[in-house]
Amino acid sequence: MTYQPVPAAAAVPEVSLGDAFVTTSVDAVVNWARRNSLWPFPFGTACCAIEFMGMVSSHFDVSRFGAELVRFSPRQADLLIIAGTVTYKQAPVLRRIYDQMLEPKWVISAGACATSGGFYDCYCTVPGIDEIIPVDVYIAGCPPRPEAFLEAIVQLQGRIDRESRKERALMGTPA
Amino acid sequence: MSAPIKPGLAADALLALLAPLGGVRDEADRWGLTVRVDRERLRQALTLLRDGADARFDQLLDVCGIDYLSYPDWRDPRFAVSYPLKSTVFRHRLTLKVLVEEDDVAVPSVHDLYASANWAERECWDQVGIVFQGHPNLKRLLNHHEFVGHPLRKDYPCQKRQKLSVNDPMIDQLTAKLIALGYQVLEAPVATAGLPLTTHGPIKETVS
Amino acid sequence: MRVKKPDGEIVDLMTINIGPSHPATHGTLRVFAALDGETVAAAVGEMGYLHRGFEKMVEQGTYQMVLPFTDRLNYCSSMMNNIGFCKAAERMFGVELPERCVTLRVILLELSRMIDHLVCNGANLVDLGALTNFWYFFNPREQVYTIWERLCGARLTNTVTRIGGMYRDVYPGFEQEVLAVVTVIEDATTEVLGLIERNRIFIDRTRNVGTMDAAGAISAGWTGPCLRASGVDRDLRKDEPYYGYETYDFDTVIGTTGDTYDRVMVRMYEIRESAKIVRQAVARLKPGPLNCADARLSLPSRNQVYHDMEALINSFKLIYEGVRPPPGEMYDAIEAANGELGFLIVSDGGTNPYRIKVRPPCFTQWAAYPDMLTGSMVADVASSLGSINIIAGELDR
Repeated sequence: MTYQPVPAAAAVPEVSLGDAFVTTSVDAVVNWARRNSLWPFPFGTACCAIEFMGMVSSHFDVSRFGAELVRFSPRQADLLIIAGTVTYKQAPVLRRIYDQMLEPKWVISAGACATSGGFYDCYCTVPGIDEIIPVDVYIAGCPPRPEAFLEAIVQLQGRIDRESRKERALMGTPA
Repeated sequence: MSAPIKPGLAADALLALLAPLGGVRDEADRWGLTVRVDRERLRQALTLLRDGADARFDQLLDVCGIDYLSYPDWRDPRFAVSYPLKSTVFRHRLTLKVLVEEDDVAVPSVHDLYASANWAERECWDQVGIVFQGHPNLKRLLNHHEFVGHPLRKDYPCQKRQKLSVNDPMIDQLTAKLIALGYQVLEAPVATAGLPLTTHGPIKETVS
Repeated sequence: MRVKKPDGEIVDLMTINIGPSHPATHGTLRVFAALDGETVAAAVGEMGYLHRGFEKMVEQGTYQMVLPFTDRLNYCSSMMNNIGFCKAAERMFGVELPERCVTLRVILLELSRMIDHLVCNGANLVDLGALTNFWYFFNPREQVYTIWERLCGARLTNTVTRIGGMYRDVYPGFEQEVLAVVTVIEDATTEVLGLIERNRIFIDRTRNVGTMDAAGAISAGWTGPCLRASGVDRDLRKDEPYYGYETYDFDTVIGTTGDTYDRVMVRMYEIRESAKIVRQAVARLKPGPLNCADARLSLPSRNQVYHDMEALINSFKLIYEGVRPPPGEMYDAIEAANGELGFLIVSDGGTNPYRIKVRPPCFTQWAAYPDMLTGSMVADVASSLGSINIIAGELDR
């Protein structure tokens, strides 16, 4: 039997509308929305917070990446950026904030102190916040340049692009 | 208050001022003037320095605790508390120093003479362990309230970490403050137990 | 919390934590307040959320290793901390710095003071809701950061001084860039003052808010712009001048009532006074040696090291052991952006400091702050907190 082309009218109705429709997967749309509208919670404790403020300012402008809307309530934010040293006194506070955030949520550990305690190897400093909360992206630097913060956000966006709702559901977190 | 600062007393005159109270020049300070006094005379000395018409040391800059445990060839008592003083009227400066024995680590508090002494003494107690007698609220300031020990003592290992499980609710301090302001507390709130933080990993003891 | 007020009325006070995670508390300060409606009946404060053990850490290394730790004290004006510590250590050695070093340090001190005031006022205005000024202030700060980067490689935590001199000399074009950025900062200050100085909203929110009278400020140990805003004309640059400050033509800015408005304005006008000093200092910058030639502090030249045994040993000891101040103890201070930043150094003659106590200027401000809040409104908590410029790195060390 020779190939018979499908008549246009019998094809999918959307074809008649031309380029007005794009087909994709639910994951892609959801991830695209999430990565381009990250609302940071700046948990800034020390010097890295000043560079975070520099990143948010007009010169480096994190608004280009959709992440300009800093929200100081964990209920409204989805990106926790810990910028600065976390001490043992601060640790329960940090955990509480992380627990109060709703899924989906991501964590960026900015700077040497948040990542590993920095050069404060002493009695009061938590040697890295990953002792307390899970971290998605680590930024090295003391303090890291604002460009490094932006690179971290771009990397995080790349990670979000690769997420899948089915995996999230399997892990027990809300999709 | 907007007058230009006046010259003030020279070192000899300040020493003469404190000599009746047993003030002796501390030889360790070869740059400024540090005077050692006994802790029994501390309050008297500070009152004299603060209110004396030629002295007018109206600012206590700091309360600094020093632990001389590992100082080479130290024969004096183990601890010292330094009180750097400053005047807003005269240009002179003075540091008072009190030596404290290891087995009787107490110094009279001067929080009523200088408002800045309140928290400065708290920090000195927190870090070095000097007890300030008569202090209204000698609690931890820099370290958390579950901390045991005094980290700036020379026998406290630098990397000995101590976890905190629940933050200080501070209800007792607040009720004390309200009572001091004339309120009568009929029903104090009970601290809602914050979730104890048990998610720390094992504390890695790094040995220097 | 059920209480009986002093006038006999029985009310339920609400106890609330303001901080340590709060937009206005800069992440590490906590106020536990009892509220009677919108009024703060009583408040107690807590600190130590950024206590990083500066004083214990510096005992573990040499005197040069103290410098990066000092950067992170008042991280908005790191150079002032560097210079403060180096000045104290140099006084212990009893050295005179060459004129070029002194003039350069004055330029860096005053430019750091300017950017510290920009952060303080910018953040304070953000807490009040005036966001535009934040951008206006942070853009010149980026230009200053570019200068810092060209000078020493780091934007924020500079470590630009060494005991006995500087890390390195300035790059060609430094003077022009500094003068240009000073003009930019002055223009930004003028723009912001135009927005807030006679702004009804700003005045209503800051006049007679967080007032501290002169006697209370003096007893509480306040120094710096907060003390000057309360009407007390004390500035270490005028009272106990160092680095030739007595030869510069500038004024100290004094407030009248000691409220938040005065504190903000004192800092704004101090930016202009610092600009004057920077211009005069740049005009005086002449070529010459940068580091003092004292053998206890400065490395001998390579030529000497290769040909002279004494110089070889000197170089070896300086690199291997670091500098060793003579034994003794001493307190020294500079006029930092927040007030009197003091260092009480106890030296045992060895390579490591025996004890260094930092006297942070904002410690006294924070200690007095919860009492300032009694009787004020909750909204005033944020505005008065921003005006006393608490930098947690310095406060908690």
